[in-house]
Amino acid sequence: MAGTDRVSMNDALSNVDVLDELPLPDEQPCIEAQPCSVVYQANFDTNFEDRNGFVTGIAKYIEEATVHANLNELLEEGQEHAVMLYTWRCCSRAIPQPKSNEQPNRVEIYEKTVEVLAPEVNKLLNFMYFQRKAIERFSKEVRRLCHTEKRKDFVSEAYLLTLGKFINMFAVLDELKNMKSSVKNDYSTYRRAAQFLKVMSDSQTLQESQNLSMFLATQNKIRDTVKENLEKITGYEELLADVVNISVQMFESKMYLTPSEKHMLVKVMGFGLFLMDSELCNINKLDQKKKLRIDRIDRIFKNLEVVPLFGDMQIAPFNYIKRSKHFDANKWPLSSGTAPSPQADLMVHLPQIREDHVKYISELARYSNEVTTTYKECGTDDENKETAELALRGLQLLSEWTSVVTELYSWKLLHPTDHHQNKECPKEAEEYERATRYNYTEEEKFALIEVIAMIKGLQVLMARMETVFTDAIRRNIYAELQEFAQVGLREPLRKATKNKKDLIRSIIMSVRETCADWNRGVEHLQDPALKGKKDPDGGYNFKVPRRNVGPSSTQLYMVRTMLESLTADKSGGKRTLRKDIDGQYLVAIDNFHKISFYWNYLLSFSDSLQNCCDLSQLWYREFYLEMTMGRKINKCNVRHQHNDECNDLITMEKRIQFPIDMSMPWILTDHILKTKEPSMMEYVLYPLDLYNDSALYALTKFRKQFLYDEVEAEVNLCFDQFVYKLSEQIFGYYKQLAASIFLDKRFRVECAAIGAYLLPYPRANRYETLLKQRHVQLLGRSIDLNKLITQRINADMQKSLDFAISRFEAGDVTNVMELEGLLEVNRLCHKLLSKWLALDDFDSMYREANHNVLAPYGRVTLHVFWELNFDFLPNYVYNAATNRFVRYRGISFANQVHRDRAPQMSHAYTWGSKPLNLAYSTQYSQYNGFVGPQHFHTMCKLLGYQGIAVVMEELLKIVKSLIQGNLLQFTKTLMSAMPKICKLPRYDYGSPGVLAFYHAQLNDILQYPDAKTELFHNFREFGNTIIFCLLMEQALSQEEVCDLLQAAPFQNILPRPYCKEGEKLEVKQKRLEAKYAALQIVPNIEKLGTAKQAMISKEGDLLTRERLCCGLSIFEVVLNRLKSFLDDPVWVGPPPANGVMNIDECVEFHRLWSALQFVYCVPVSENEYTVEEMFGEGLNWAGCTMIVLLGQQRRFEALDFCYHILRVQRVDSKDEKVKGIGLKRMCDRIRRFQVLNSQIFAILNKFLKSGENDELSVEHVRCFPPPIHPSLNPQQHYHAPEHLRQC
Amino acid sequence: MSAPKAGEAVQKQIQQDWLNREYIEVITISIKKITDFLNSFDLSCRSKLAGLNEKLTILERKIDYLEACVTKGETLT
Repeated sequence: MAGTDRVSMNDALSNVDVLDELPLPDEQPCIEAQPCSVVYQANFDTNFEDRNGFVTGIAKYIEEATVHANLNELLEEGQEHAVMLYTWRCCSRAIPQPKSNEQPNRVEIYEKTVEVLAPEVNKLLNFMYFQRKAIERFSKEVRRLCHTEKRKDFVSEAYLLTLGKFINMFAVLDELKNMKSSVKNDYSTYRRAAQFLKVMSDSQTLQESQNLSMFLATQNKIRDTVKENLEKITGYEELLADVVNISVQMFESKMYLTPSEKHMLVKVMGFGLFLMDSELCNINKLDQKKKLRIDRIDRIFKNLEVVPLFGDMQIAPFNYIKRSKHFDANKWPLSSGTAPSPQADLMVHLPQIREDHVKYISELARYSNEVTTTYKECGTDDENKETAELALRGLQLLSEWTSVVTELYSWKLLHPTDHHQNKECPKEAEEYERATRYNYTEEEKFALIEVIAMIKGLQVLMARMETVFTDAIRRNIYAELQEFAQVGLREPLRKATKNKKDLIRSIIMSVRETCADWNRGVEHLQDPALKGKKDPDGGYNFKVPRRNVGPSSTQLYMVRTMLESLTADKSGGKRTLRKDIDGQYLVAIDNFHKISFYWNYLLSFSDSLQNCCDLSQLWYREFYLEMTMGRKINKCNVRHQHNDECNDLITMEKRIQFPIDMSMPWILTDHILKTKEPSMMEYVLYPLDLYNDSALYALTKFRKQFLYDEVEAEVNLCFDQFVYKLSEQIFGYYKQLAASIFLDKRFRVECAAIGAYLLPYPRANRYETLLKQRHVQLLGRSIDLNKLITQRINADMQKSLDFAISRFEAGDVTNVMELEGLLEVNRLCHKLLSKWLALDDFDSMYREANHNVLAPYGRVTLHVFWELNFDFLPNYVYNAATNRFVRYRGISFANQVHRDRAPQMSHAYTWGSKPLNLAYSTQYSQYNGFVGPQHFHTMCKLLGYQGIAVVMEELLKIVKSLIQGNLLQFTKTLMSAMPKICKLPRYDYGSPGVLAFYHAQLNDILQYPDAKTELFHNFREFGNTIIFCLLMEQALSQEEVCDLLQAAPFQNILPRPYCKEGEKLEVKQKRLEAKYAALQIVPNIEKLGTAKQAMISKEGDLLTRERLCCGLSIFEVVLNRLKSFLDDPVWVGPPPANGVMNIDECVEFHRLWSALQFVYCVPVSENEYTVEEMFGEGLNWAGCTMIVLLGQQRRFEALDFCYHILRVQRVDSKDEKVKGIGLKRMCDRIRRFQVLNSQIFAILNKFLKSGENDELSVEHVRCFPPPIHPSLNPQQHYHAPEHLRQC
Repeated sequence: MSAPKAGEAVQKQIQQDWLNREYIEVITISIKKITDFLNSFDLSCRSKLAGLNEKLTILERKIDYLEACVTKGETLT
C-alpha cells in the first residue's frame, strides 16, 4: 500500500477483523504459561485527572477526588521508597577502608567513597523527607476527618480504604527500614568519609545528617511517629476503627481482587489496631462497645497467620496485637492458640482447588467453543452479563489460588524447618535453605506445582479469550450502568421528588447527570418521574442505548460514592438518608454498589489477570541475602564433638546470591525431574515460568538491572541443568523401553515364574508433549526445546554406540553376540526416538562410532580379526559334534591377550537400567566360552561382505606364513627323521606285530619332543582357520537365503499356491502375481521412474537374483589360495622312482601325516589330556586339507600306517599291550579318526571338485595293471581300498 | 432558563465523552487484536522456522557425513 493512500476508518477496522481469519497453525501442545512477545495493555485509569469534567456531581466528592489523587501519588511515591529500601544492596562492603590514619591515599579513598555514595545517600534523605511529609499528610487527613462536625458526616469507602493503604505503607516502610542494616552501614560509611572531608560544612547540612542517622538508627521510628501524631488527635480511634471495620468487612465479603489487596486488608487490621491501642484508648473496650469485632478479626488472623509484607519479608499481623498495650490473650482465643493455621497446609485446600479448576475449565471450554463456532456481532444483555461474570469468577479463582500459594510460601518462610523436624536437613543448613529447600514435603511440592500449573494454565486460557471477555465486560457494564441510572433510579427519583426530599433528589439527579448517556443526548425532560408524577397508563417508554465502552474511572468513582452516601448507615449519629428511601430501592442501590465494585478490575482485565497470577515473589530473597551479610559461613562439618580447634576451621565464603538448589522455581522444577512423575511431567515448564514473573517484576516494578541480571543468570544455569537432566532422562527412558521390548518374552515369563525380580516395562511417561515444544518462552527468548534435546540425545546415541563397541573391544570374540544385541536395542531406541526427534541416520551414526567413515574397516572388523588372530586361533579347539569351538581348558598356548577395559558408563548407555543390564548380561553370558553358529551368523551380519573378505584375507596371510614358516620347517625336520622306506607289513604278523613294527619304525617321530607342544598346535591353528572360513561361508549363505526370501515378493517370485482339484495352477499363479504387482520393484520403477532409476533397479534386481545362483564359493577360493601356498618341493617329494607312484618311500607329505596320525592315535593314559581335547578337529582338518590340496588323498587312504593296523586288527581281532599301547583302544581311535578323515575329505572334495564330473574324471585316469609280486605270489599284499570303505 | 441550558450542555459533553471513549475503545480493541495476531503469528512462525531449521540441520549433518565419506581427511572447500 502506498504511503499516500488514505485508509478509511472502516477499512482499517475491517482489515483488523480480517486478521482473525488468517490461519496460523502452531502444532505444539500448550504446556507453558502465557507466551507473548508483544504485550499490549491500555490503561484508562486517569487518577481523577478528569474530575473537573463531572461538574454535575456533588462538589464534595469532586474535592474528595482531588484529595484521593494526591494521596494516590503519595502512595506511589511510598512504593518507590519501599522498592528502594528492599532492593538496597550493601555498598560499603565493596568500598575499601583506610587502614590507618597514616595511609597516604586515604583522602582519595574518602573522596571516592563520598562520590560513590552521595547519590545513594540522597535517596535516603529523600526517604526521610518523604516519610515526614506522608505522616504529616496522613495526620492532617485524620485530623480533618476526626473533627467533631465532620464525624457526623459520612466517610466514603474509597476514602477509608485509601487511609488503610497509608497505614499499610507505614507498616511496610517501617519494617523495611528496621530490617535493612546495610542501609545504616552504608550511611555511616558515607558519614565518616564526609566528616573527614568536611563536606558537610554548614550547620543545616550537619543537622540533616544527624537527623538522618538518628532516623535510620532508631527502630520503629515511622511507626512510633505515626502513633505519636495520631494520639494527639481526639477521636482518631473511631476513624481508625472505621478503617479497620471496612477492612474486615471487605475481607469477609471478598471485596478485593488481587492477593496483595487481600493481604493489605489484613495488615491494615493488625497495624490499625496497634495504632489505636494506647494510653487513651483500649481496643478491648471498643470491642465491648461493638465498635470493633475482635472475634471476627481473631478468626481472620488465625486463618492467615502470616502475610507477605514485601518481597520475601513476612509479617504475622497478630504480633502487632501482642505488642499492643492492652493485649489480652483471652480476647484472642484462636490466634493465641497453638493449633496450626490452615494456611500452613496446602493439602487441605487442594481438593477444593481441583474441583473448582475442573468446573471452571469445563465451563470456559464450553463457552469458548460456543464463541468460536457461532459468530455474533454482540451478544444479548444476558449473554454479556453471563460472560462478564464468568470472567470475574475466573479472575477471583486465579487470585484465590495465587493467594494460597503465596500464603503457604510466606508461612513456610516464617517457619523454617531444622534437622529435628526434617531428617534430610543437615545441621549446618543455611537459614534460607531451611526456609525453602528442606521446608516442603514431597507431597507439598507436587501440590504447589499442580496449583501453579492450574494458575498458569488458566491464565493462558483466559488471556486467549481476552477480546471476547473484554467486549462482553464493557457491553455488560455499560448496559448495567445505563439501565440503573436511566431506569432503575427513576422510581427513587419520583419518590424523592414527590416527598420533597431535596437532598436525595439532588444526589440521584447528580448520579444520573454524571453517568447517563441519553439516547438523544439530553435527559427526557418530559419524564413524569422527574416531576414526581405517575407514569401514563401505557408506561413511560424510552430506549436505553448500548455501547461497547465502560465508564471512566473518575465517573465510576463519582457514581459509586454518591450512591454510597445515599445508603450509608453510619454517619456519626446524624439521621441518615437511608431512612428516607424505600427498602426495595435501597436493596437495588446496594446491589448496584456491590456489583460495581469489581468494574474497575474488569475494565482493566489484562492488568487484573496479570496481577492475579503474579507469583514473582517466590524468587525474591533480598531479606535473606541481607541476613547473610554477603557471605556464607562454613563451619567445621566433621561429625564429632566440636571443640575450640573447630573455630579455626570456620571460613567465610563470599556470597552474593543463593545457589539454585535453594531457589523455589528450581526446587519445584527439579522435583519433577527427580521423581520423574508422569502426571507432573507436562507441568515442568510452569515452575520455570516463575522466572518470567520475577524478571518482569524486576523490570517493571523494581526497575533494577542487577535483579534482572541475577534472575537471568539463574535461568541460564537452571535451563542448562533442565535440558541436561531432561534429555538424560528421556534417553534413559527410551533406552529402557527399547530394551524391555527387545527382551525375550519367555525369559520374562520364566523370571516371573521363579520369582526373580525383573522390572516391568518402564512406566509410560509423557515426554512426547515436551519433545514437541519448539518455542518455549523464557525471559523473552524463544527456545527450541526439541532442538536442544535432539542435540543432546544425538550425542548420547553416539556415545551409546561407541560404548557398545568399546565393550566388545574389551572382551573376546564371543562378545559379538552382546554387541549385536546392543546395536539392535540402540536401533530400536533410535527408531522410537526418531518419531519425535530429528536424529542422525542410525547407520551413519554406527559407522561413525565404528570409525568406519574415513577408514575402510571399522573397529568391529579390526577387533574381530584381532581376536581371531590372538585369541581364537591359538586358544580354541573345534568339535564337529557340537559344531562349536571351545576354549581349551588347560594351559594357555598363547600369551595372555591384553584388552583395554571398557570405560565405566551409566546404565542408560548400555541396556537402560540396572535390572535390565543384569538380565541381558545373564542371557549373553550363555554365549561366552564357545564360538558356534550363532557367533558366525552375527559376525556375518556385523562384518558384511567387505569385513569378511578382509578378515579372511588377513587370516590367509597368517596361514601362509604358518605353512611356509613353521610347518615347512617342522616338515623338513621330521621328514629327515622318518624312515626312508616303510612298508605295509603283512597280515601274517598279526595286528600286534604290525603295531610293534610301526612303533619301532616311527620311534623318532614318537619321541619328537615338539610334536605335541608346537607342531600340532600349528596344525590346529591352520585347521581352525579352515574351519572358520567354512563356517563363515555357511552362515553367510544362510543369511543370503533369508535375504533372497525376503526379497522374493518384490521380484515376483511367489510360492506355489495350493491347488484344489479342478483348479488351475497357472490361473492361480497369475492372480497372485496381479495381486502383488504393486510390490514388484523393477516393473514399477520402469513405469514410474526415470531411465536411470530403472537401470539401477534392474541392476540391483540382477545382483539379488544371481548372488547365490552362479555358485560362487568363498571356501573354494580359500582352498585354492591355500593350495598355492604349498609350493615347496618337500611337500611332494622327489618324483617316484617307479615312475608311477611312491609306495613304501616316505617322501611325500601324507607319509609324514600318517606318522603324525600314528602319534595322535596312540591312546593316552587317564591323567593326560587327550589329543582331541587339546587340538580338536582342527588338527585333522589341517592334515586332510593339506593332503587333499597336494593330491595325495588316495595314496594316504591306501597306505596310511594306522589304517593298516586297523585293517589287520579287524581280521585277527587281537587285543594286547604292545609297548604299553592297548591295541584295541588304539584301533578304536584309529577307526574314529578314519571316519572323521573321510568326512573331511568328502567335504573338501565337494568344494574342490564341484565343477568336475566323477565319470569324466575317470576317463582321464591312466590305468595301470596291478603290480605283480616278484615271488609271483598271487596273494595281494594290501587290501583293496574299496573293501576298506565297507568295513 | 440558563440553568437547564447549562445542564443540557454538560449532558451533551458527557454524552460526547461517552462517544469519544467508545471511539478510543474501538481503536484499543483493534490494537489489541493486532497484538494478538502478532503474537500468534510469532508463535506460528517460530514453529515453522523450527521445522525448517530442523530440516536444514539434518541436511547439514548429512553433508558433513558424506563429505567425511568421500574425502580422506581433508575438507572440501
